[in-house]
Amino acid sequence: MAAPRAREARGHRDHRRVPSEEEALEKWDWDRAETRRLFEDAFFRDEDYIRQGSEDCHKFWAFFERLQRFQSLQTSRKEEKDPRHPKHRIPALADLPHTYDPRYRINLSVLGPDMRDTGRGSRLPPKRVSEFRRALLHYLDFGQKQAFGRLAKLQRERAALPIAQYGDCILQTLKQHQVVVVAGDTGCGKSTQVPQYLLAAGFSHVACTQPRRIACISLAKRVGFESLSQYGSQVGYQIRFESTRSAATKIVFLTVGLLLRQIQREPSLPQYKVLIVDEVHERQLHSDFLLGVLQRLLPTRPDLKVVLMSATINIALFSSYFGNAPVVQVPGRLFPITVIYQPQEAEQTASKSEKLDPRPFLRVLEAIDNKYAAEERGDLLVFLSGMAEIGAVLEAAQTYASRTQRWVVLPLHSALSVADQDKVFDVAPPGVRKCILSTNIAETSVTIEGIRFVVDSGKVKEMSYDPQAKLQRLQEFWISQASAEQRKGRAGRTGPGVCYRLYAESDYDAFAPYPVPEIRRVALDALVLQMKSMSVGDPRTFPFIEPPPPASLETAIQYLRDQGALDASEALTPIGCLLAQLPVDVVIGKMLILGSMFSLAEPVLTIAAALSVQSPFTRSAQSSLECAAARRPLESDQGDPFTLFNVFNAWVQVKAERSRNSRKWCRRRGVEEHRLYEMANLRRQFKELLEDHGLLAGAQEATPGDSYSRLQQRLERRALHQLKRQHEEGAGRRRKVLRLQEEADDGSSDEDRAGPAARRADDSVDIQDVKFKLRHNLEQLQAAASSAQALTREQLLLLKLVLARGLYPQLAVPDPFNSGRKDSDQIFHTQAKQGAVLHPTSVFASSPEVLHTEEPPATGAGGSRDDKDKMSSKHQLLAFVSLLETNKLYLVNCVRVPALQSLLLFSRSLDTNGDCSRLVADGWLELQLVDSEGAVRLLGAALRLRARWESALDRQLSHQAWQQQRQRRQRLEEDEEEAAPISRTEVAALSRELLQFMATKVPCSLRRLTGLEAQNLYVGPQTVTATPSLPGLFGSSTLSPHPTKGGYSVTDFLTYNCLSSDTDLYSDCLRTFWTCPRCDLHLPLTPLERVAHESACAAGLDGGPGAEEAAPEQPQKPSALQRPYRCDACHRDFLFTPTEALRHRRQHM
Amino acid sequence: MASEAERRPLGVFECQLCGLTAPYSYVGQKPPNTQSVVLLEESYVMKDPFSPDRDRFLVLGAQCSVCGRLVCVGPECSLFYSKRFCLPCVRENLGAFPAEIRQDLEKRKAPPSMRSSGRACPGT
Repeated sequence: MAAPRAREARGHRDHRRVPSEEEALEKWDWDRAETRRLFEDAFFRDEDYIRQGSEDCHKFWAFFERLQRFQSLQTSRKEEKDPRHPKHRIPALADLPHTYDPRYRINLSVLGPDMRDTGRGSRLPPKRVSEFRRALLHYLDFGQKQAFGRLAKLQRERAALPIAQYGDCILQTLKQHQVVVVAGDTGCGKSTQVPQYLLAAGFSHVACTQPRRIACISLAKRVGFESLSQYGSQVGYQIRFESTRSAATKIVFLTVGLLLRQIQREPSLPQYKVLIVDEVHERQLHSDFLLGVLQRLLPTRPDLKVVLMSATINIALFSSYFGNAPVVQVPGRLFPITVIYQPQEAEQTASKSEKLDPRPFLRVLEAIDNKYAAEERGDLLVFLSGMAEIGAVLEAAQTYASRTQRWVVLPLHSALSVADQDKVFDVAPPGVRKCILSTNIAETSVTIEGIRFVVDSGKVKEMSYDPQAKLQRLQEFWISQASAEQRKGRAGRTGPGVCYRLYAESDYDAFAPYPVPEIRRVALDALVLQMKSMSVGDPRTFPFIEPPPPASLETAIQYLRDQGALDASEALTPIGCLLAQLPVDVVIGKMLILGSMFSLAEPVLTIAAALSVQSPFTRSAQSSLECAAARRPLESDQGDPFTLFNVFNAWVQVKAERSRNSRKWCRRRGVEEHRLYEMANLRRQFKELLEDHGLLAGAQEATPGDSYSRLQQRLERRALHQLKRQHEEGAGRRRKVLRLQEEADDGSSDEDRAGPAARRADDSVDIQDVKFKLRHNLEQLQAAASSAQALTREQLLLLKLVLARGLYPQLAVPDPFNSGRKDSDQIFHTQAKQGAVLHPTSVFASSPEVLHTEEPPATGAGGSRDDKDKMSSKHQLLAFVSLLETNKLYLVNCVRVPALQSLLLFSRSLDTNGDCSRLVADGWLELQLVDSEGAVRLLGAALRLRARWESALDRQLSHQAWQQQRQRRQRLEEDEEEAAPISRTEVAALSRELLQFMATKVPCSLRRLTGLEAQNLYVGPQTVTATPSLPGLFGSSTLSPHPTKGGYSVTDFLTYNCLSSDTDLYSDCLRTFWTCPRCDLHLPLTPLERVAHESACAAGLDGGPGAEEAAPEQPQKPSALQRPYRCDACHRDFLFTPTEALRHRRQHM
Repeated sequence: MASEAERRPLGVFECQLCGLTAPYSYVGQKPPNTQSVVLLEESYVMKDPFSPDRDRFLVLGAQCSVCGRLVCVGPECSLFYSKRFCLPCVRENLGAFPAEIRQDLEKRKAPPSMRSSGRACPGT
């Protein structure tokens, strides 16, 4: 029996079985864990097909039990012996076993311990071993049949797709032409099959672009699955933060934006041989641009093949754009759909209610309940214009559902978490229908099976763009006929369907045939920037498939010039080059660059990331007092970006303290954790970009010193990887059966929505958390978060300055009467728009008083001024990230900044009167200062700071450009002289002075000019040729009369004395006695002369003590300040700077 | 890794009856990466595409031991009874098989063809 050594090892177990074999057989119990383990030890070793403890192992035992039961029913089967046949003439048939045994039907065999002769299993009773082996064979055979069945089913389904008949045709056409248009309606299978036909035909280096990231992932998975390389690497995807691409990848799904960036790097796109551009009919901005780029690229890459895939919309447009490219048109697979027009009576016009009336939608639910038996399956898909509308219908429909118990109501829009979006794919229990309330996301991007009924509201909310106001508007529009058909088609994918249109047939006839292409609806800044960096020439003459409105282009170009990304000749500036490489809004890109200069990269990275994703604050939490209270400690009265900054940092800390559950933490504060993950991803990407561009020193891997903690870290990472793998293996997400909403009245609450998702995830791991920890260095993040808490007041102020400079000119001025208004009625004005309000999520919406100038009006001059023009040193402006118009005009993501200093530092245009006590910034904001002397001093300081800041930034950027060039050329010796980076001490000095400047308290009034005032602002060009007696005001620049405004341009932004006003006519010749604090010069001077002296005097002092007296005698470098000067007293000619002239004059006094 | 190379398809298996196609990566009786399982016929094998486990295999088909046609293991095309037989050959030689097989066969239907007819191309 058992080998002696085995007996020693398992002595006590063997005892039980010692008595006799028969007894053991009788008492044999397969269900005993011990028995099973013995067999597992023998058959399911690590090197065996099934491993002990694996999922397969559990499945086997379940199978085993079923088989045992089945066989016990059949034991009485008679051993029928076949009559002996004569030997068959065909040899293969001659030696068939004549006694039938199911075992002969199995084409494989398992080696067991008895055959291996290792001794381990030889203790097992042979009869039991054969029983086990037999079961194992059946199990393996069953597994083979199951897998093959799936494979065959997959192939059948693929073959049954409408496009399957056109596969060869597409390949053949592509062989003969460079461009092929494949047009087919949803459901024909083009997106999944065409890539596979190309793969099967031996193509490699195939890129397939998708308008949306989510489609890249799901298509790569689907195509990988269908092409049977699900776990191989032939099929991959590449999106902003993730890539599954490897050397073996033959086809990659990527976003259009990403492909454009690849073209930006390598214009001839050498890494691809075939490009599939999917969903071209959607006419997305990037997709339109890509078509233009391709049209130009194709002649230079005759070997590059292009497949355009489109719905059957406007196909001729695409074909003709590519020289009448051949079109392969594939019919869709649609069942007949009945269209019912149910125009809404004008019942809600009376009350100007903001909420959508849900009654017409409920009527459809009722109609379905009345007309169709509950057993007849088929779900309902309702198209609504936006989230608010979904909310309104959701509430009413859930009440109805809880009454009838026949519906499960689910919302679907892009702001939902992925887990909640996934719920629409779950199935309803028998007798219950799903009612999915969706935005137009379900029109093309998300396909839900089993839809039989569609309700089409006929409306869509889209961003529209007002180029004049640079304003994004979320507006409701009627959809196009193409969209209406698309929506209708969703009802006929699995069987005949019904489409209820909540508008009249005449309305339908009046719809536009196609949706307005995005290029005609949105801001083109980013596009123009990208075009410039790709050197495709003048955007105005670029051969777009349909050109954008010229006004939009001009606005974008002007905006980029204002932002300093383009120079006067519309060429990219160094900062523009950098901005073009950052896949973010220009404003955010500027912040990143500015922040890195002031060594504020870490906090700016977080803020930039926070401002680039959707607000993490959930809507419903807005009304929850608990959430608001929990969130309060994180709020910053400096502005929303700082609140977001705090939220992110606090979240990172929660993540780092292992004991706490970040998901719960988020839910309690009404924060959508998904957005925070996005922030973390984006932050990392920004960081890498800054490092790549030499703006941020690459972080040294912070490896813990001792080997123990290194090991610890490695182990941790391995465990995380394991978790992730396990999750992915089990990730063939099964459809779940939805539950009827028990507490339906409460159904719209976020807590409730988060509930099932959380429950589902809680029984496994928080995979987001695992991915997060794998992707990010939590210690680094935590260090950044901790250092954020330790930011000094000065650093915070500097950070604010960086934000403000980045955001400029997006400024709003509070209405002067705000302090007398309710919190919710605070009004703000921007240059182009009046009467904007704070977004309800803004910190200032709940505490607007921090924006008021509580100070009593300063006493002093200006008695004639309006009361509202309060003199105060506390005037503030709001710098905002975006302006959004829905039912109101909202300022989104605001920071408060001191008005006077910010305008002096940032304005593109500053105009003054004669004594500089009146300043107008950018032609719309007027500042009046009591003290003209102070005003002049402040102005002078601003000029100097701006010049220094600008030059520091220039040097930083040119140094960076130089480094990049060096990297590119890889030749150190022959390079031109290195552009020196800006030194730390210099930056420190600059920041110190900037902070000093910001801290100055100068009372002034702040006023938005009226339209009429703005029109008559300037004195206009003057015929007087006399230049002011003191040229070279404000440093070294030369004065020249301003051609349109009048007065004199001092710098490219400052125009002196051009404001028209009665008093101003004299002010420039009004001299008052003044003593220079530096050189004790005492003279009657005009303000202009005073400032000129001051700046020259300060410059003189820099030369060292005693320079004042020595200066005239010193052989000086020729200065731009010097002008011929003829002294009337001594009748001699000099070449003097203004200060020298003053000194000279003093001699004669 | 070696597994990457082993997984590379050797060719495309095509069933001569139903037209099912799939890339195979091994032909023989000892599928790679498994020691404990042997196949009882010369089989066309691929890595099981539905399992993340890289040593899971899937038998696609084998030659009919009577006529030599390459057939898939699908129940509409072939059966195994100590050897592989395509259904047409089984039907022709029904008498050689035990009653269980004969009964079993009556339940089966003819294979659905997967071959596409193809469509005319646009004027080229």
